[in-house]
Amino acid sequence: MTATLTPTEAAPSGPTEGRRDGALRGRLTFDRWGLLALPLLVFLLVVFIAPLAFLIASSVTDPTLGLDNYRKIFTESVYLRVLVNTFTVALTVTAVTLALAYPYAYLMTIATPRWRALLTLIILVPFWTSILVRSFALVLLLRDTGVLNSIAMSAGAIDEPVPLLRTMTGVVFGMVQIALPFAVLPMYATMRTIDRRLLDAAQGMGDRPSGAFWRVFVPLSMPGVAAGLILTFIQALGYYITPALLGGPKNTMIGELIVQQVSTVLQFGFAAALAVILLGTTFVLLAITSKFMNLERMLMGRS
Amino acid sequence: MTRILTRAALVLLAVLIAAYVLLPILVIFPMSVSENGFMAFPPEGFTWDWYRSLSTDPTWFASAGQSLTVALASAALSVVLGTLAALALVRGRFPFRRLALLAMLSPLIVPYVIVGLAVYIAFLKVGLTETPLGFVLVHTCLGVPYVMINVSAGLVSVDRRLEMASMNLGAGPVSTFMRVTLPAILPNVLAGALFAFITSWDEVVVAIFLSGPGMTTLPVKMWSGIRVEIDPTLAAVSSLLLLVLIGTFLLTGLARGIQRLLARRSSVNLDHSGV
Amino acid sequence: MSKKVLGGVAAASMVLSLAACGGGGAAAEDTLTVVMWGGGAQKAHVDSYVTPWAEETGVTIRQDSPTDYAKISAQVDSGKVSWGLVEVEPNYGKSACDDGKLEKLPQRVLDAAEKADIDPAQMNDCAIPILQYTFSIAYNTDTFGDAHPTTWAEFFDTEQFPGKRGFWKYVTGGAFEAALLADGVAPEDLYPLDLDRAFRKLETIKDDIVWYDTGDQQVQLVSSGEAPLIQAWNGRISQAAADGESVANEYGQNLVSYDQIVVPKGYANADLAFDWMVWFLENTQAQADDVVASGYGPASPQAVELVPADIRDDIAGSPAVDDKSASVIDYDYWAENYDEVTQRFNTWITE
Repeated sequence: MTATLTPTEAAPSGPTEGRRDGALRGRLTFDRWGLLALPLLVFLLVVFIAPLAFLIASSVTDPTLGLDNYRKIFTESVYLRVLVNTFTVALTVTAVTLALAYPYAYLMTIATPRWRALLTLIILVPFWTSILVRSFALVLLLRDTGVLNSIAMSAGAIDEPVPLLRTMTGVVFGMVQIALPFAVLPMYATMRTIDRRLLDAAQGMGDRPSGAFWRVFVPLSMPGVAAGLILTFIQALGYYITPALLGGPKNTMIGELIVQQVSTVLQFGFAAALAVILLGTTFVLLAITSKFMNLERMLMGRS
Repeated sequence: MTRILTRAALVLLAVLIAAYVLLPILVIFPMSVSENGFMAFPPEGFTWDWYRSLSTDPTWFASAGQSLTVALASAALSVVLGTLAALALVRGRFPFRRLALLAMLSPLIVPYVIVGLAVYIAFLKVGLTETPLGFVLVHTCLGVPYVMINVSAGLVSVDRRLEMASMNLGAGPVSTFMRVTLPAILPNVLAGALFAFITSWDEVVVAIFLSGPGMTTLPVKMWSGIRVEIDPTLAAVSSLLLLVLIGTFLLTGLARGIQRLLARRSSVNLDHSGV
Repeated sequence: MSKKVLGGVAAASMVLSLAACGGGGAAAEDTLTVVMWGGGAQKAHVDSYVTPWAEETGVTIRQDSPTDYAKISAQVDSGKVSWGLVEVEPNYGKSACDDGKLEKLPQRVLDAAEKADIDPAQMNDCAIPILQYTFSIAYNTDTFGDAHPTTWAEFFDTEQFPGKRGFWKYVTGGAFEAALLADGVAPEDLYPLDLDRAFRKLETIKDDIVWYDTGDQQVQLVSSGEAPLIQAWNGRISQAAADGESVANEYGQNLVSYDQIVVPKGYANADLAFDWMVWFLENTQAQADDVVASGYGPASPQAVELVPADIRDDIAGSPAVDDKSASVIDYDYWAENYDEVTQRFNTWITE
């Protein structure tokens, strides 16, 4: 993904063997499949990357030419703290989401069609409700005088309300819900394609069912898991409506800070610098991850 | 025995997840019929007033229509661009591969507020703010990575020998793609299209920048008053959206349709390739 | 690749510029775009004092919301200004005016403002006030039925009045002023703020503070009893009370605040916008109508006596509320110090 990634794609892929009239010429050649990437690349270049490049350039030109914006980020403790917060929250959300989404997706693969339809419908529900209203409903559920605390108190389970809102618990509670469909669907789409006869074969050769599951099913489902996790994690980094509504000041995430810089303090350059830092950190993290799990293969699945 | 216990645990987990996901929804409807104008829970009394005030305000319908147009168009464009790009990524060779991949995934990684500001400044210069086209262009950028990732994941498991067989039998590359490859990756394409549609339909941050009196999508309309107040009209809108969803599923049997599509083995055998 | 990409970029740019000719565009003649914070308040303002003017003059009104300073900035910088009348906070009004991002008021507006007895402190070269409100103590009447805090010192006294306190997570939201008044600073010595002292005072109850972001959360927090004491905008609370919620305003040591309305630099129909301003300033009855509909106080003191007697004592700008007021928020101070204090506040609040 970045230049620092390990060059793993030495083996030629695709049906056509590229002509090799010299290294440079070879590297600059499109094969017929490769040409299919052009429409999207051109589209993104014009609509997305060009505007972004102008804005990012402003991180070193606005308000004055130089690295002042970046210096500010690294000399003020608040920005580092918020960055750490952001990654902590995103990692927690990803972990919890994985723990819930994987068994759920697995259940979808073994359920009868009718139950599977219901399971699909349920997991899609967070998609269809506005994120604003959903977060607001969660506020009503989670606050000290909210539905959950009232029920628990009247049932005698607790004497004092347990603070849920404006805590890390509240943020994770809200964000996992939004992330679940994004994790379950790719996992299910991949699990669906796993030939269950492989599991039977493993058992036929003497493996226990759990052994067959861990040694055969889980590895085969990894492309879907990786896709779901990356989606969840990266999305979680950029959330700001949910943490703003459900988290406390100590759960401030970088998205909130960027919004504030843009819309109230009007320091576009500084906001751009914050964005660059977030992007950079994300890429470094992805690069490290890719060392361990060959990210490109999992995410983009080169055959 | 362990098998039964495992299954029971799975079902229990699914029930808990269902409760977790549905709980906020269950709160929303009672709030939409509460006489209390401040959306307090538990609701007090019963009234359809919030729905009535909704039905007398044509701007809500206009916004919903604009949202739907934008979401459908950007989902369609995302599917075309994203599927082509996924084919290139999984099978093709092209220069600056890593850079290109980075570019294609960047809409996932850049915080929306930065996208919004950047695109707003650029679109203002060419007059694309407040236009459906402007929304479609940006929302396609945001939706296309979902199509790409989902379709790529599906393409890995496609058996290339079937395509070879189809080609050997005289089918051209396009026809092979439509008859062999596409059916195999259809669940992934649909999942990607759904993601792209929802991304656009629910997107509020970038839309806030691009919207204006001429063009206001539904989420922006819902958001616009939120800094000052949230009244139960919002809950009413959400309930209606849910109702429309449920109605669609029930009436058209879409659920079963999607289910059939999802259930189709993606390791396509030759019996199905003639579909 | 480069040639192909360049060709593609060129083609796509053409599509974009063609699209540009069709969509968007400058303000058509005889339309005025009005931008406020949105919601029921915007509806009340527009119904009370924009629509009647538009009907008189035949101007078409377009509305947008909410105000977004980044958008104003981008519009002015690119020269394509589509927002005409924009409701803003006074510290922005001041700094944007100084930066040349706003149209300067013509003489006829200044004359009308003088005739309407507008407080000159609430104006600048580019802005007139459109409404007033107070940052005052809102309390839950069930929790504090017998005795409630009447001063900021009591508001900060968590022993006498236990429970969470709500403040706006926003530096111009009145928390610093309240903290200094609670710590014994005389109202006339409030500005420039002694920030060290204000942070020290806030620190004493930091664990009991709930920070809210929206006007809606104010009502939620105080009426549910989750934070039975809130520093709130009085209009939101009196409307909730009228709706039967167990909440009330205490105006002791209230801090008066106001919003302004401005015209971004380069708006094609700026003259229409100023026509409206003159009409608005002269039409005190329309301002009084808005008080009834929105709960906010009027810009002109002359409008106060036109407000029905039963709600007159509950609005900013009325003698009853003004008598108890400690100070008006000094937005010139905030225009100067907003960025720096925001930075410090962010650091403190996340610690």
